Amino acid sequence: MAAFDVNKALAMKIFPSRLALLIVLALPTAAAAQRGGDAVYIDDRLNQLQQSLTMMTGQIEQLQNRNAKLQQQMEKMQADYEYRIEQLEKGGAGRPGGAAPRPGAQAAAPATPSPTPPAGAANADQLYDEAVKKLQEGDYAAAERGFRTFIQRNPQNKLAGNAQYWLGETYYARRDYSNALTAFAEGYKVYKNSPKGPDNLLKLGITMSVMGRKPDACAVFARFNQDYPRATDLQKRRIDQERQKNGCG
Amino acid sequence: MMLPRRTTLLGGAALATIGVAGTARAQLTIDMTRPSFEPVPIAIVDFKGDPVGAQMAGVIRNNLQNCGLFRVIPTSAYIQKDVDATSPPRFQDWRSVGAAGLVVGQVTSVGGSIKVDFRLWDVVTSQQATGLSFTSQPSNWRRLAHIISDAIYKRVTGEEGYFDTRVAYVSETGPGNNRTKRIAVMDQDGANNRYLTDGKTIALTPRFSPTLQEIVYMAYGENNGPPRVYLQNVDSGRRELLGNFPGMSFAPRFSPDGTKVVMSIAENGRTNIYEMDVRGRQLRRLTNSPAIDTSPCFSADGSQIVFNSDRGGAQQLYVMSAGGGGERRISFGDGRYATPVWSPRGDFIAFTKIGAGGFGIGVMRSDGSGERMLASGFLVEGPTWAPNGRVLMFFRGQPSSGGRAGSASLHQIDITGRFERQVPTPTDASDPAWSPLIPQ
Amino acid sequence: MSMIKALSAIAALFLIAACSNNDTQTASAATTTVTPGSVGDFRQNVGDRVFFDTDSSTVREDGRQTLNRQAEWLKKYSNYQITIEGHCDERGTREYNLALGERRANAARQYLIAQGIPATRIKTVSYGKERPDPVGSDEAAWARNRRAVTALE
Repeated sequence: MAAFDVNKALAMKIFPSRLALLIVLALPTAAAAQRGGDAVYIDDRLNQLQQSLTMMTGQIEQLQNRNAKLQQQMEKMQADYEYRIEQLEKGGAGRPGGAAPRPGAQAAAPATPSPTPPAGAANADQLYDEAVKKLQEGDYAAAERGFRTFIQRNPQNKLAGNAQYWLGETYYARRDYSNALTAFAEGYKVYKNSPKGPDNLLKLGITMSVMGRKPDACAVFARFNQDYPRATDLQKRRIDQERQKNGCG
Repeated sequence: MMLPRRTTLLGGAALATIGVAGTARAQLTIDMTRPSFEPVPIAIVDFKGDPVGAQMAGVIRNNLQNCGLFRVIPTSAYIQKDVDATSPPRFQDWRSVGAAGLVVGQVTSVGGSIKVDFRLWDVVTSQQATGLSFTSQPSNWRRLAHIISDAIYKRVTGEEGYFDTRVAYVSETGPGNNRTKRIAVMDQDGANNRYLTDGKTIALTPRFSPTLQEIVYMAYGENNGPPRVYLQNVDSGRRELLGNFPGMSFAPRFSPDGTKVVMSIAENGRTNIYEMDVRGRQLRRLTNSPAIDTSPCFSADGSQIVFNSDRGGAQQLYVMSAGGGGERRISFGDGRYATPVWSPRGDFIAFTKIGAGGFGIGVMRSDGSGERMLASGFLVEGPTWAPNGRVLMFFRGQPSSGGRAGSASLHQIDITGRFERQVPTPTDASDPAWSPLIPQ
Repeated sequence: MSMIKALSAIAALFLIAACSNNDTQTASAATTTVTPGSVGDFRQNVGDRVFFDTDSSTVREDGRQTLNRQAEWLKKYSNYQITIEGHCDERGTREYNLALGERRANAARQYLIAQGIPATRIKTVSYGKERPDPVGSDEAAWARNRRAVTALE
């Protein structure tokens, strides 16, 4: 069959051209490529060029993207350094969120910064708002970073307890229960009296329950009334529901 | 088309008993910005006025249960069996079955029309949460039930509903190597299914115009004729050729204002994106690359177009300005990205992603950041947004076996990746396109 | 005749040695009874389809052999018009695959034109992933579905 092809090819070759005949005889594989003559050769070259151009386009796009990201990072770092240096120059006194944490549970309304934030706190509020926004958008990874940064920088801020609670929620939403547990436990330990304290404890118990640690969950729920006598009815009802669900005594 | 008129918007205060305000109210609302929340327990009593009243309640129950944000309490649990549609219910009875909300209504005949009154009671605060009254033709009872569902959804979530909408899709029947593919349109809940093409040739990728009066889609010509883009009136069935060009034209989409259609035209191995003025039929080229540029989609404000292209080696997502130009790549993850769809809210772009492990449906912000995957499988493809931007529909395909085509079905999922469920269709189905809210 | 056989054997050797891709068409030839110049002849003795790698529209070496035979046959039986159908496997999205199928059909068309078939004789159409042959969801089926099929009219 193949022989017929080769023979036919030779016989039907329209332009009995140059050395092509010899090459065809000597190299049957090259014959296929050569038979169509220059057209196929040019097509091949064009295809190759096209492919390398495509590859390079892709590489350039990726490099541009990486470049843009690095630049963003640099700008962030620079802003951060400037902020820190500024704080140092102020003698370390200007730490934002200098306001003392307010003891006593407040209504657990979603914390929004007070309308006129004290000077120096603007940056903190901004950071908090940004993280809340990420959370609302479902970008949990970014929200996590935001809340963590906020807490690190402003551990005494009145919103720190809220941030700690929402940090836990960013893990919980992603079913990362062990990190959620750590975050809620930390919240209970450090920000027990924050406005989010009751919610935080509730969620600590729920997380334990989800992780199959029912006795621990029950122990947590049992602390609730004692720790938060002034919790809202809704919160108390949730605790009762959870206690029932987990068969707590 | 019918036009239900909102004749009255009943105020709540006059009828409301004095209830416990404040905290308890939280039970009839969902803060959807919270990463986790409990579905709202709600009771929906059969509307008075048989038989349509009971059917309407059924449609509403189905809508609310399916969206995942509500837990519809079964009617068998109800204590108060006879609830008047206009006076307050015995709230204690509804509290004890665990309801946070109670929906009551009544249907009365007025001449040749029906009048529908409905109320949503906040059981926790013993107050009316919302209420509406409509007059319409009797045949519109299903739409009225969807409009009521939307009102409840909005009152509880604070977001616009999406129940009074339609879905266009590709109905698939027949053997795997010669599937019949027809364009079909149905209500969002699967009711009122009907076919818009006869199935003699393959028809694919339907999209609604903003008024829902027309759809654009791609269909092959008779006798192996090349694929062309058609514009078809949904009610009259009248169809016309929109893209009579030398190459294959496909992947059509309306602009948000309905005046333009963007589509791909393939010629000599290159596929570029073009814009056509619907009225004047003027064609304008928007991309000019030697690669494949396809699956274009306008941003909600009409100022930008997202599309996929393999100009960089593999399919990736690109954004350009609506008139062409300023093209920039936005997807940089592993795998191939396809079928980008801009959210009606403008915040997210949904896409199909093809990786080593299979197919996935995901969302990213319009600058390409914050990528999240919502669903995955052997084949998941073609996301489309509900008009409120909270819910997506897409299709799942199963592997074929023994020479038989794998089944294909429509599914919907919450933007957080929860509450996936199959949308019922009479046949296998693919390529869903969710309509905007039906104009009232 | 024996001379032809001998040549055939040698050429076959060369081909096998030369192509990394196994050529499925070379073997079956001469023993068939279909009428020369018929559609059956074209499908059986020439081969009506060429295959592509994943996401590629480059005609492979095995495909070139097939297209060479197609070109010779089409020159001999010049009464036929042809439509090249481009197809894809099911591992891509619908719209992209329509475009990729077009690119494959076009690649085969360009090759035939280079072999001297007039462009006016060749139409193309893409079926994307809509017309699988064979129907199947494994690597073997996908490899057979990434194809350009030359249909005679």
